[in-house]
Amino acid sequence: MSITLAITFIFFIILGRLLYVQVAWSSELKLRASDQWNREIPIIAQRGKITDRNGVILAGNRTSYSVFLRPNAVVNAEYTATILSGIFKIDPNAILEKIKGGKVSEVTIARQTDKESIEKLASYDLAGVYYSRDNSRSYTYGDALCQVLGFTASDGTGVAGLERFYNTILSGTNGEITYSTDIVGIETENSKVLYNEASPGDEIRLTVDIDIQLAAEDAMRSVYKSSGAKSVACVVLDPRNSDVLAMVNYPSYDLNEVPRNDTESLNALTRNGIVSDIYEPGSTFKIITAAADIEEYLRGNPKAFSTSYVFNSSRTRTVDGTKIKCWSDHANGKHSNQTLAVALNNSCNPCFTDIALSLGKETFYSYLQNFGFGKDTGIDFSGEAVGMLVPETAVRDCDLARIGFGQTVAVTGVQLACAAAAAVNGGNYYSPRFLKSIISADGKTVEEKKPVLKNKVISEKASQILAEMLEGVVKEGSGKHAYIEGYKVGGKTGTAQKYEDGHVAQGKYVSSFVGFFPADDPQYLALIIVDEPQGVYYGSTVAAPVAGEIFKDIIKIKNIEPFERTE
Amino acid sequence: MTENKKKAGDIPLLICVFAMACFGCLMIYSASAYTAEVQYGDSLYFVKKQLLGLALGTAAMLGACFLPYKKLEKLKYPAVIVAAVLLILVFVPGVGVTNYGATRWIGFGGFTIQPSEIAKYAFALFTAAYFAKNYKKVKTVTGVLPVLAVGGVFCLLIIAEPNMSITMCVGLLMLGLIFLSGTNLKTFLIILIPFFFAVPLLIILEPYRLQRLSAFIDPWASPKDEGYQLIQSLYALGNGGLFGTGLFNSTQKYRFLPFAESDFILSIMGEELGFFGLLIFFAACAFIVYRGIRIAKNCGDRFGFLLAAGFTLVYGIQVVINALVVSGAIPPTGLPLPLISSGNTSLIITMASMGVLYNVSRGN
Repeated sequence: MSITLAITFIFFIILGRLLYVQVAWSSELKLRASDQWNREIPIIAQRGKITDRNGVILAGNRTSYSVFLRPNAVVNAEYTATILSGIFKIDPNAILEKIKGGKVSEVTIARQTDKESIEKLASYDLAGVYYSRDNSRSYTYGDALCQVLGFTASDGTGVAGLERFYNTILSGTNGEITYSTDIVGIETENSKVLYNEASPGDEIRLTVDIDIQLAAEDAMRSVYKSSGAKSVACVVLDPRNSDVLAMVNYPSYDLNEVPRNDTESLNALTRNGIVSDIYEPGSTFKIITAAADIEEYLRGNPKAFSTSYVFNSSRTRTVDGTKIKCWSDHANGKHSNQTLAVALNNSCNPCFTDIALSLGKETFYSYLQNFGFGKDTGIDFSGEAVGMLVPETAVRDCDLARIGFGQTVAVTGVQLACAAAAAVNGGNYYSPRFLKSIISADGKTVEEKKPVLKNKVISEKASQILAEMLEGVVKEGSGKHAYIEGYKVGGKTGTAQKYEDGHVAQGKYVSSFVGFFPADDPQYLALIIVDEPQGVYYGSTVAAPVAGEIFKDIIKIKNIEPFERTE
Repeated sequence: MTENKKKAGDIPLLICVFAMACFGCLMIYSASAYTAEVQYGDSLYFVKKQLLGLALGTAAMLGACFLPYKKLEKLKYPAVIVAAVLLILVFVPGVGVTNYGATRWIGFGGFTIQPSEIAKYAFALFTAAYFAKNYKKVKTVTGVLPVLAVGGVFCLLIIAEPNMSITMCVGLLMLGLIFLSGTNLKTFLIILIPFFFAVPLLIILEPYRLQRLSAFIDPWASPKDEGYQLIQSLYALGNGGLFGTGLFNSTQKYRFLPFAESDFILSIMGEELGFFGLLIFFAACAFIVYRGIRIAKNCGDRFGFLLAAGFTLVYGIQVVINALVVSGAIPPTGLPLPLISSGNTSLIITMASMGVLYNVSRGN
């Protein structure tokens, strides 16, 4: 009797223990075990395209393959290493180390390899070696817009430019194929295969117009060659909302053959200088000073000069004991009887010194603030510089006097272009932007980005007056090389000396021109920057014609009718 | 108590034993087919061997059924000597076969046998015969001494292989049989004392046992080494749940669980057949033990009683230890599940012992 009891007792102890393990503990054990039961092969998500404002593909995908290796499923390590190194040009010892290291269950052997390599690999049917589809980025226009578009790393993540800035939108979510295997990773005969689909990244549609971009690229390439400059850059905006239509930095590089091996030159070539670099604008900045004066005059500020006021024709002004000179010698009646419009035509420095000093620090600085100087424009791009503006509390009259004609101030190209756009578009400052809309892989618009109006800078009236004056600059002043017969082009030249270690660098200039058209309803605005041209260095001769070229191309591309026909 | 009185033998026991052995072949197929295919290129590798064991075992069982068990009483010394010689042969180079760091087998041509499996039964036979003859001496320590001596020598030889689990079996069997012999409590307690010292001593001798012990307490502390076997066994049981994954549907048999066809076949059974499957299986085991005890109790003579009780104990102890090891209730140790695990020595001798039980039940 007692023995039966003992047997029963032991029987229930065993069953109790089994009940605990098999029922109460079961789900936790299964969860832990699923790690060893299942293997995954990643499915790489299709990266979103980058297109121009009309949907032309700028960055697309080419099908490629990734190759993986499971060390413990490899049958013959030496043989496998030899074959793989032959196909993918990798050191066989490195592969052998990966196979025998045994630390990780899966190693990546190659990414973004072509179909031929994979076909070769498949013919060997190596145990423990797997491949899956991958994406390689393909850039339709090679080097066009290269600093803006940027590129991706071998694992497909964006590492530069918009590829990086909008990486999360573009990259999508990788999926995986899960299947059950035996202990060394060999698929079992009753394997349950689970597909977890990858969700493709979204397309980003840019504000850029590839036709205008290519026209700008051509123009910049030729001025780079003809001027012997260190570098050239250009931005074309739609002044009505600061959409970036084109952006060029030259020299450039081919996005399909990124020079990854030379880090130094890669850093230089991939730099989007027009957003990230600052320069002393020189006379193009007079647009801002003029805008401030006109607006203040219209508001009835007695310190502002009327448009009919004739400036003192002396070549020099003495401020805080320092003498400020005009670039011109004012001899033989040059730069005499100048109204504001004539001063712009002549680009006469002392007149703008007068305006800055007359308006005073407080008033003039409020305009500089509103025009976005000394702060970022908010462009959707990494690494934007904010420029250099002496703090209002520290600024002396001699500084203020020079800021009036674009010295003692440093700006980025994008800052100046946006400020100029605001000055001539009716007085509205918009943040510049690249992203126009986000479109899903199946073609639906996910988000339509609206232009960002930051603030009002001047009244519509003042803007109109200014635009007219700047049209005069191109018609009869220093900007005449940008003139196009039958079209109203406005603009302003700039020639600034470069500084090195706090001193004027002899013979080094930045020649620039900011132009727009049609002057009475601006739709295109271009800023051309030529850094260190050899020989002739005036903005009027070096930079202005380039804007003219680009505008002519735009007229052709967009088939814009002239406002008047000439016989 | 009259001799030669014929009783109806315990046929249900034989049927149960035979059915279980057949079921064992099925489970071995399920647990080993994949591994066997990978390792030997023959998915039936283990099953074929087991089927041979089943044939021999059935023959041995039927033979034992008709062999009057009382003749075994005279074989107590030959049995002990043969068992001892076989146990010693394990250590003879060229004869002993080493596997997984332990020398537990002796090889004859293509076959290997495991002497410790035979020793258990030889010891049970010797003890039953000795106590049957010297039943008056059992109340003193000196009277029990020959049993302790034989058991002690066997234990030493087995632990030297090393084989902790069968040593434990023999030790427990020794205690069980001494208890059943009708000794008094005082003698029994005196005998019990050395057993308490045995466990710490064994751990000091072989430090790996301490690692096994710690691995048992927290197997996930060393999931790749000491803890591995137990973790894999628990994964199998956990995956089975209440109803199991279905016959042949084990995941753990894909080489995750070592010894899936032998010492840990219970894990695969638990995975494929679930808790309810194991419930039925253990009910069958309990049935065998119950019938064995009933046969012992109903047997008229002292030898038959002790022999039947001893053989039943050998079977029962192994089932219990195996179940506790597999479910992680006691530290892991390698012990086959009798009648199920792959291994011919164990299968043949267990079936033969069941034949002896049947013979005892007939009162021959």
